[in-house]
Amino acid sequence: MTASALDIAARVASGQTTALAETNAALARIMAHDDQLNCFTHLDAARARAEASAIDAQRDRGEPLGPLAGVPFAVKNLFDIENVTTIAGSKVLATDPPATRDAFLVRRLCEAGAVLLGALNMDEFAYGFVTENAHAGPTRNPYDITRLAGGSSGGSAAAVAGGLVPLTLGSDTNGSIRVPASLCGIFGIKPTYGRLSRGGSFPFVHSFDHLGPFARSAADLAAVYDACLGLDLEDPAQHHGQDLTQVSPQLDSAPAPRTAILGGWFAEGASEQALAAVAHVAAALGALETVELEGSQAARSAAFCITGAQGGALHLNRLRTDAASYDPATRARLMAGTMLPASVLQQAQRFRSLYHARALALFERFDLLLAPATPVQAPLIGQSTMEMGSKIVNVRANLGLFTQPISFIGLPVATVPVWLPGESLPIGVQIIARPWAEATALQAAHRLEQAGAVGYRLPASAAKAPV
Amino acid sequence: MSDDTAQYITLASALIGLPIAPEHRAPVEQAFAGLMDHAKIVLAETLGERDEAAEVFTP
Repeated sequence: MTASALDIAARVASGQTTALAETNAALARIMAHDDQLNCFTHLDAARARAEASAIDAQRDRGEPLGPLAGVPFAVKNLFDIENVTTIAGSKVLATDPPATRDAFLVRRLCEAGAVLLGALNMDEFAYGFVTENAHAGPTRNPYDITRLAGGSSGGSAAAVAGGLVPLTLGSDTNGSIRVPASLCGIFGIKPTYGRLSRGGSFPFVHSFDHLGPFARSAADLAAVYDACLGLDLEDPAQHHGQDLTQVSPQLDSAPAPRTAILGGWFAEGASEQALAAVAHVAAALGALETVELEGSQAARSAAFCITGAQGGALHLNRLRTDAASYDPATRARLMAGTMLPASVLQQAQRFRSLYHARALALFERFDLLLAPATPVQAPLIGQSTMEMGSKIVNVRANLGLFTQPISFIGLPVATVPVWLPGESLPIGVQIIARPWAEATALQAAHRLEQAGAVGYRLPASAAKAPV
Repeated sequence: MSDDTAQYITLASALIGLPIAPEHRAPVEQAFAGLMDHAKIVLAETLGERDEAAEVFTP
């Protein structure tokens, strides 16, 4: 039940299994386990079986199959799915008309042969790190269902970690791929800002919105990332001069990366486990030096301000007429953001350029920088505060402490899962590369996994699956 | 929450036509105060007059 995506595709291509059998098996796992995990908000078995049967027919006719043929996948419910209303975790969008076609990345994965099963839970409008959605309920961590899956792409991460599907897509504005990947012990990649098309997804903060995949291995992650590559004129932020070279063929062939640990902001407030996870990955990559990225606290604050202002402005019209329908956790922050003075927003955007230049200076000496993905392992569902160093801080606001400065400047990051000795919960490490160097981050993730330093572990709940 | 901030929210929300229901008012004030804590950190950064914003419109 935790076969890799690449293994499923190879077995479908060779005739050892069929796309329909893999689809039915995934649907059975979802029926058996999703009541507990609460990942799926929409399941379309009829579409999935039709797509799977079409792939099997393609094979029967001797036609070439895509690299993800027959691999079941699902997407955060801010991606458009044809004939389904895109709710983005909300109630206020629920009466909108259904999407008239799939989002660009959904189309890319379906063209590669993957089979879409449905849509996944998230924080309302992606504004959160917890996936404790007031409308759909919380998504639960597969390793301990009393704990958070993280967010905002919590359904996407828990569905992969819980063994329901091998691949999902999510979004990351301030850490929404990296935080749940960390808490759920799987691999995720937030690509460079402007790398993958956001066409056909519901926006949050146009300056920071990224889309990206989750998987249980670095090789699967590279394969789905490769399938997502492609140019789309409908996303004004996509960089159309980018190199579209596939990463998977070069996954094994990289020289040892020059790697440093980010200190300062990225160590203050980190738990013992978060620091140990970074040290573990650093040792495996031969990283000896710790460096500072000056201004990281201000970078995080600037990300908060831009998020509030752009997110708030996006929702102003609906907040004027239907504020009561918003999740209370989202409503207050969006409303507050609409009133942020423009001088603050502009200062934050100007500081973004300065901080970006400082990060690029570090990449003159190093290929990769390491930092914790989250300050702690998964907190309890409903837990409002947590210890951070000597302080007691708000859980919701601080799970993205170490991710926000990095997405602020759009750097590509692979998150890798670490299991420390004696721990029953995973924690993730951010492998941060220079702009457009996703390959370097994915190669390092693969190298670490091959060496046994990082990797996915099957949760006990998933091991009891009926298929 | 200072009186000045509460007054700012009253005036700013009226100016942009955003009604805030009485039961939503306290969380909005709290969220705005949190946002302004971050704003102070951002405004304390020294920038040169030639440091341009990261957002550039490409026609």
